[in-house]
Amino acid sequence: MSAQPPRQAGGAQVLARAALALYPPTWRARYGDEVRALLQDSGAGARAAASLAWHAVPAWACPPRHLYDRPGRMRASLAAVGMAWALLAGLAAVFVQLAQAQGQVQDLTLAQHRVIQWSYWAFDSCLIVSVLAVAVGGLPLWLTMLRRARRRGEVASLLAPAVVPVAYLMVTAAVVALVRRPGHPVVPWQASSVVDLANGGVGPRWFLTLVVLGFAAALVSAAGPGLALRGLRLHGPAVVRAARAAFLAAVTMGLAGVTSMVAAVGLYLWAPAYAGYHVAWPLAVYLPAVLLASAVAVVSAARGIRASSPPAVA
Amino acid sequence: MKDGLNRWADPPLLVLASLAEEPKHGYAITQDVADTMGVRLSAGTLYAVISRLESRGLIEPLELDDRRRPYRLTAAGARELAEQSERMRQVASVAQQRLRVNYGWAGA
Repeated sequence: MSAQPPRQAGGAQVLARAALALYPPTWRARYGDEVRALLQDSGAGARAAASLAWHAVPAWACPPRHLYDRPGRMRASLAAVGMAWALLAGLAAVFVQLAQAQGQVQDLTLAQHRVIQWSYWAFDSCLIVSVLAVAVGGLPLWLTMLRRARRRGEVASLLAPAVVPVAYLMVTAAVVALVRRPGHPVVPWQASSVVDLANGGVGPRWFLTLVVLGFAAALVSAAGPGLALRGLRLHGPAVVRAARAAFLAAVTMGLAGVTSMVAAVGLYLWAPAYAGYHVAWPLAVYLPAVLLASAVAVVSAARGIRASSPPAVA
Repeated sequence: MKDGLNRWADPPLLVLASLAEEPKHGYAITQDVADTMGVRLSAGTLYAVISRLESRGLIEPLELDDRRRPYRLTAAGARELAEQSERMRQVASVAQQRLRVNYGWAGA
């Protein structure tokens, strides 16, 4: 084997070592020490840093088979799908509130347009299937996580993130109850001049605040189980079933998102009697958000379901 | 045919050819490839190739030697290298013959 080479040092070495952090954990665990030794031996420069950073992309996209951690991939996929699904569910709730739930307004507008109605039905169907898939696939996994956490004495930390959505729902329910109470004005923020965006009488600013807080609560409630799943390092049939259910949930939720986009654009085009639907900026936020979250959900779920299938025998 | 014009400098082949001499660790491979084949392999390229070759069973890792892990060619790796070398030799032979006949090329 070769003789020991001369050592060099420099800021570029630090950069090259930092580029190593871009690799998947399994890759770093297997090759990290060797690469650091190579960088030390060769006096790594900016070229090494750029090269390492560039090759980190295929290391994530197509991990070498001998480093392919199937349970780890499924856990990561479930965590990512959970976050994206929560975001899509939040967007769906906003859509329902601003479009489908506006029954009285729709009677006065052209929301009965055939395209919009079909989109509503497709949206409802996809949403129901998606929620059922989450329930059927997620419940066994949740119970397994709970059992594992109980054995490790970590039940409190597993359940802690649930406090956030519960608190949010309680605050929202309290606000809506106050606003709906007879009499006028009931609460200081219920200005009579604002448009009834939320169908419950909350003004647009409060509605927007509740929506933003709702998204934050949804993401926290999804991130908690995702992190716990990684920490508990679960594997086995419950994880496989959950990964398969997550694929169905992600695809149907993505379809629900797409049908809601069709309905939202339809309302923008064909609801001339109601000015609220002709504001362009909500669409400019809603459409890209739905597309991005759907793409993340479906791609992550596809990677999870790929990992859930047993490897082909060579 | 998936070969590109620079197939001769395909990093996996260079690494296989280097390891055909003896087991080497990462830095020794880059030095050998640079000295004998005139190609400088960067750290990212080298370890992308090593992980791919290891995954395909063409090379195998040996025991760590002070954080430096040597690799050696497997029997499958030797067969692959032999096949690729033979194809390259045939191409080189045909190309040189035609260059001599049609372009008066006298050889390097």
